[in-house]
Amino acid sequence: MFAAGLKCPGCGSSNIVDDDLYCQAQLVCVDCGSVVSEGTLADDPVGGTDVSYSRTTAVTKKPCLNLIKGLERVKEMCRILRLNSEIEELALTYFRQAYQQESFINVTLQRKEVLAGCCVYVSCRQRDWPITLGTISSLLDADQTLLGGVYQEMIKILNIQAPFVNIADVIEAHVQEYKISAQDVTKELAEDSKVLTKRAVALVELAGDSWIVTGRRPLPIMMAATYLAWQSLNPNKHRLRLSLDKFCHLAKVQKRNPAVTRITEMKEVLCKLGRELPWVREAVTRDDVVRLVGDILEHRHTLLTRALRTHETAMLADCPQASALNSPTEEVAPSQHSESRDQTADASSVVQLCPTDRMENQEGDDSHQTEDPEPNWGKRVLFAPPCVIHAKRRREEPPAQNFTGDEEISDSEIDSYIRTPQEARDFALMQKAVSSSDNGNP
Amino acid sequence: MDDLALERYFDDSIANDPSYMVEEELDLQSSLKQSHASSTNSQNSFNLLGETETSGRLGNDLDLSFLPDDLSNQSSSITALATAATNQNAELDVLEDSGINLDDDLHNIAAVKRQVPVNLGSESNASPFCPMTPMTPMTPMTPVTEKSGIIPQLQNIVSTVNLGCPLDLKFIALQARNAEYNPKRFAAVIMRIREPRTTALIFSSGKMVCTGAKSGCSEEQSRLAARKYARVVQKLGFPARFLDFKIQNMVASCDVCFPIRLEGLVLTHQQFSSYEPELFPGLIYRMVKPRIVLLIFVSGKVVLTGAKERAEIYEAFENIYPILKGFRKQ
Repeated sequence: MFAAGLKCPGCGSSNIVDDDLYCQAQLVCVDCGSVVSEGTLADDPVGGTDVSYSRTTAVTKKPCLNLIKGLERVKEMCRILRLNSEIEELALTYFRQAYQQESFINVTLQRKEVLAGCCVYVSCRQRDWPITLGTISSLLDADQTLLGGVYQEMIKILNIQAPFVNIADVIEAHVQEYKISAQDVTKELAEDSKVLTKRAVALVELAGDSWIVTGRRPLPIMMAATYLAWQSLNPNKHRLRLSLDKFCHLAKVQKRNPAVTRITEMKEVLCKLGRELPWVREAVTRDDVVRLVGDILEHRHTLLTRALRTHETAMLADCPQASALNSPTEEVAPSQHSESRDQTADASSVVQLCPTDRMENQEGDDSHQTEDPEPNWGKRVLFAPPCVIHAKRRREEPPAQNFTGDEEISDSEIDSYIRTPQEARDFALMQKAVSSSDNGNP
Repeated sequence: MDDLALERYFDDSIANDPSYMVEEELDLQSSLKQSHASSTNSQNSFNLLGETETSGRLGNDLDLSFLPDDLSNQSSSITALATAATNQNAELDVLEDSGINLDDDLHNIAAVKRQVPVNLGSESNASPFCPMTPMTPMTPMTPVTEKSGIIPQLQNIVSTVNLGCPLDLKFIALQARNAEYNPKRFAAVIMRIREPRTTALIFSSGKMVCTGAKSGCSEEQSRLAARKYARVVQKLGFPARFLDFKIQNMVASCDVCFPIRLEGLVLTHQQFSSYEPELFPGLIYRMVKPRIVLLIFVSGKVVLTGAKERAEIYEAFENIYPILKGFRKQ
């Protein structure tokens, strides 16, 4: 090609061509061979080419590196969790879709990695594969709050819904993590994983019925259930002596702090049921209830009905106009339908015992209120969510005043909010002094 | 369709009525879709009208000052209109005191008629207008859906107002006792007053955001607080006015006093609910009509937010209460 308008300084001819030497651009005169000008590597635009990656054709020819990496990460996670190919495909689709969106295209690499985890999570939930967010967060080693935020955004953008995960389904996978089979620990402490799972599931179902599970994080509950199940399967002194801390250390699982409270709550529920066992003579305390757990779980539905009935009669005896008579019978909603029919049949018989009291409930409530300024309905029923039983005491607010919005505003009140001139001067001086001292000693 | 027919009817019937403002008043009140659950007496209705009066004043040039005084005069005409509405929409339960049939479309102007203190004249006046069919009783009926009897209490109101003049924030921070200003952190002065206990963010453009009002929270209280801030700014020497006062958000809470199975609720109302116990202990219910977000907790406590008017909160709660009660029986 002829470079127009250029003259060779050597011979003056205008016969100049582009004769690039490898990657270096050169303009050479044809007649005398002298190099008119050469492009240097230093002439390349600083910081890459002028055209950004997103505007080049490389976008279609060679997809974004981070996208590829993200897809690989998704596949990796699916393999670690041993998910089937259907879930993997779904996760990959979601990731491709979400990656293109504005809120995920120009974000930190960590966020993109978290997005990969969320895609896997959503796909699992949609295909009824029980999994918790905690598992994903431990896989990614990411903060659960960050995970939650990305997850919420993702489902909003992709406009998808994830069905609810039942904790009883997840616990099986959870129990697998505990390394307490016969190969890992001593004979007294070892436990078969299947047996352990079965008992833990029963405990979790009982906890769900008695309002321990709703609203709480699933992982500590599962940990508490596993611990109690393990202790009760063979309540010898070795096991009973082991605290949750040591148990987690033994099973090589990370301890969750709320699990301690959950254990206490579960033991209380078990005590309430344990009292109804006909063959138990002495009082059931939290310390001995572990030995009875097997029996309690086996007959838990009958025990539940009996406990409710006992509670009802106790309430009736205490106060003839017992309020919230109907609530105990209605609150406990068993997880399986067969029991629910069983229970409502029993419960309805209890309700029919005192139909007239239903009318008096309202009066009963009023009379209670005169005695107790803040009737805590949680204390009157057998099973209630722990946050109701241990309700926080709120400061009494002063009664509402009637405002019209157009009242007169007194000058004195407004003046009380304004500094006197002397005060303003002092304040300004003080501010200057403070800022200068700050500058002096940074 | 019903709306247009009603409009025409009203145009006819109030053509000779000197107080033609009734229609505008009713338009305003169409936003007040529901009154207190317990308000059955006229006094409360006056309060409602009073509220509309104050909130409506600044945005519109409606002259509502006639309302409390002339109500007795109007009651007959309003009753007539209401009964006329009854004829138009026989299936609606009109003339309930203030109980609202939730399942009906509340945008209907006929629904609005109920807000008007019909009870003033309903029982005593035999309206000359209506050739009543037995299907449409004059006396208040028991509502089809049982009312909850629980009133959500307002906890917080956020409002904005335009003071109408640029402000020197450094000067304000210097001269006012109750102001704090840290330009590196946030570009506004944070001012607080004691009565009502509120906080305001005052920006250099002259716009102001007022929040708080905990005890006895109400729209009027928020307005009074905003006026006090404006007065303080005035006293500091700026030509502050009080333009476009608007309530942007209201938060309320209440307790239904029975535990709620959130897992069940998320299963049956999946399109509206979001319940992730790993992220938040409550269920987030996004109600479509009215557009309110409710946080429902296992203890039975419910938080309602996102409302621009008090009536939206009451309506939302009356909508959710039967759903929650349904879960209790299971």
